[in-house]
Amino acid sequence: MFFLTYLRRELRHRARQGLVIAVGLAVGIGLVVVVTAAADGVRNAQAAVLHALYGVGTDITVTTPGGKAPSHTSGSGAFDSPGQNAQHVDQLGAEIGLVDESFVSRIAHLHDVAATVGGLADLTDTSLTIPSLKQLGPGGKPPASALNPVEFSVDAIDTAHTQLGPYASGTLSSGRGFRASDAHAYVAVVDYDYAAAHKITAGSSVTVAGHRFTVIGISRQPQGGGASDVYIPLAVAQQLGVGPFGASLHGMVDTIYATAASAADIATVQQEIQALLPSATVSTSSSLASAITGSLSSASSLANDLGRWLAIAVLGASFAVASLLIMAAVGRRTREFGTLKAIGWRSRRIMSQVMGESLVIGAAGAIVGTALGLGGAAVINAIAPTVSATVGLVPGSPAPENVSFNGSGSHTTPAAGYDQTVAVHMSAPVTISVIILAVVLALAGGIIAGSFGSWRAARLDPATALSRVE
Amino acid sequence: MYKLDFVTKTFHKGQMNVIALNDVNLDIADGEWLAVQGRTGHGKTTLLYTLGALDRPTSGTVEFDGQDLSRLTEAQLTQIRASSIGFIFQTFNLIPTLSALENVESALIPLGVKTDERRDRAARTLADLGLGNRLRHLPAELSGGQQQRVGIARALVKEPRVLLADEPTGNLDEDTRDEIISLLEKLWQDHGLTLVIVTHDTSVARRAQRIATVSHGKVTFRTQEG
Repeated sequence: MFFLTYLRRELRHRARQGLVIAVGLAVGIGLVVVVTAAADGVRNAQAAVLHALYGVGTDITVTTPGGKAPSHTSGSGAFDSPGQNAQHVDQLGAEIGLVDESFVSRIAHLHDVAATVGGLADLTDTSLTIPSLKQLGPGGKPPASALNPVEFSVDAIDTAHTQLGPYASGTLSSGRGFRASDAHAYVAVVDYDYAAAHKITAGSSVTVAGHRFTVIGISRQPQGGGASDVYIPLAVAQQLGVGPFGASLHGMVDTIYATAASAADIATVQQEIQALLPSATVSTSSSLASAITGSLSSASSLANDLGRWLAIAVLGASFAVASLLIMAAVGRRTREFGTLKAIGWRSRRIMSQVMGESLVIGAAGAIVGTALGLGGAAVINAIAPTVSATVGLVPGSPAPENVSFNGSGSHTTPAAGYDQTVAVHMSAPVTISVIILAVVLALAGGIIAGSFGSWRAARLDPATALSRVE
Repeated sequence: MYKLDFVTKTFHKGQMNVIALNDVNLDIADGEWLAVQGRTGHGKTTLLYTLGALDRPTSGTVEFDGQDLSRLTEAQLTQIRASSIGFIFQTFNLIPTLSALENVESALIPLGVKTDERRDRAARTLADLGLGNRLRHLPAELSGGQQQRVGIARALVKEPRVLLADEPTGNLDEDTRDEIISLLEKLWQDHGLTLVIVTHDTSVARRAQRIATVSHGKVTFRTQEG
């Protein structure tokens, strides 16, 4: 076909210029691909953080603040004072506010609530040896071993409803998960990292609150933290654990997870729960997302704001340069186009020739730009930079406390800060939609550049064009 | 073929007006060979472009086969150029990226001639002009005379009513000039074309039937015998 022959010959004849234009377009396209992929990666990281903290499918989390633990010089009710003999204590304690379990069903009956589940999300198992009076040193100073309690976090799960909450985000790497029939059984699912560190496998056992639990499965939680070390059935935890100041955990939960009927109902459900529990903290995933700080938040701003505008600016510049170069190329072919008009070629035909050349250059820019973008994304994925996400006031997290001992018992003082910082690895996923976007942008660039060139070719007066001395 | 009545062409250059053609009256008969001479800048090329429907007169009428070209639309003028008028240029004006064959084919593109027929006609025309073994050569691979033959083939392939040549031998040596002019003369005789040649070369002009001299936009005539 003559059109294609002419197009092919002309592109080959001006290969260098075409390459410059294509590379210019490619740089802009590549930047768009990388920034879009990075933005998607940041969004994925944020979602991973939220999922880890919230659990898949959870829209709303309800917690109540715990009362401040007073300083005390006598036994706290959790640990006894030193006596004649050394005492080994293994205690499962809840440190944040408790809510009557009946609120779980009350919330479930609210309009627009699809599902609810309650749990004891922030239990800590603490085991230590309280020295005997004889073991205390001068001034009642305890031996070094008494200053190092062994702690691990425990999450008590409603085994009949495991689809909500942070536990739901995990995937089993061995063994099995909870069944409804495990409600009163002394069974546990252990976090993958904790199991690896303590050489725990499915079928082995862990000791919680002084009782032996059979490990039925090992669960790997998504990166982003928020995972507990050990998961046990809620009813068992309520039986074995103690609340703040030694309160019983029977019929109590410290966290309620809820799912709204639809995304549009979340705000309404939040208000209804708040009305039901005025003293509770009712947070949604969006309020949690807005509370995320740290380098993940910075990366998000970088990708979404600076990155996007930079990509738009570079893309705009590459379109402008391509247009100018193609117009200049048309200018250099004035006599050629004038001759074609003289022998009877219509402007439309000449314009289509110019446009065709621009589209081919645009397509070349799309290919090179996509390759550049994929390369940039691959570099990000290879480096997988770690970014941190810090969430102030994570729902359900206890205020950390420092525990110290003296001759008359234990002292607890609140530690500073309520933040939870988690680390996630950045990625830059390139989806098919991003590639399609790249191709469309490059072709659009070719069309825009070709339009300017075609316009110039169409306006050529053949008599003037033929009179040009080149 | 042509009837020009009081044709004036004025160019506006800033504050200045340049009168390229000044009340030109000119008749060109069917099948006539007219040479146009004159000094540089006196309006020869403007006259040629007016005859070729490349330029519209500022005033006056240009009749071509009974049609007033000055009243036609750009699309209609383009169609007339495509089907009825062949151009030959001093600098050949071949498309540098197309072969000799493809350059000649380019004249048939606006006429919508099918690929096979187009190629066939172009090849025959080039062969008739002694370039049957140069079909695939690019212009840069041809001599000046050969390039001008390709230009002539491009003008002829569409079987035009009129050939307009602007200094066709201006860039050629003496021997090649004679060769080209002889070729044009033969084509004029064989095809019954109307031939208008703009030339500085008096030896070329003397071979025409009539010589028009353009001076300061005005046209005067000399008739050749034989």
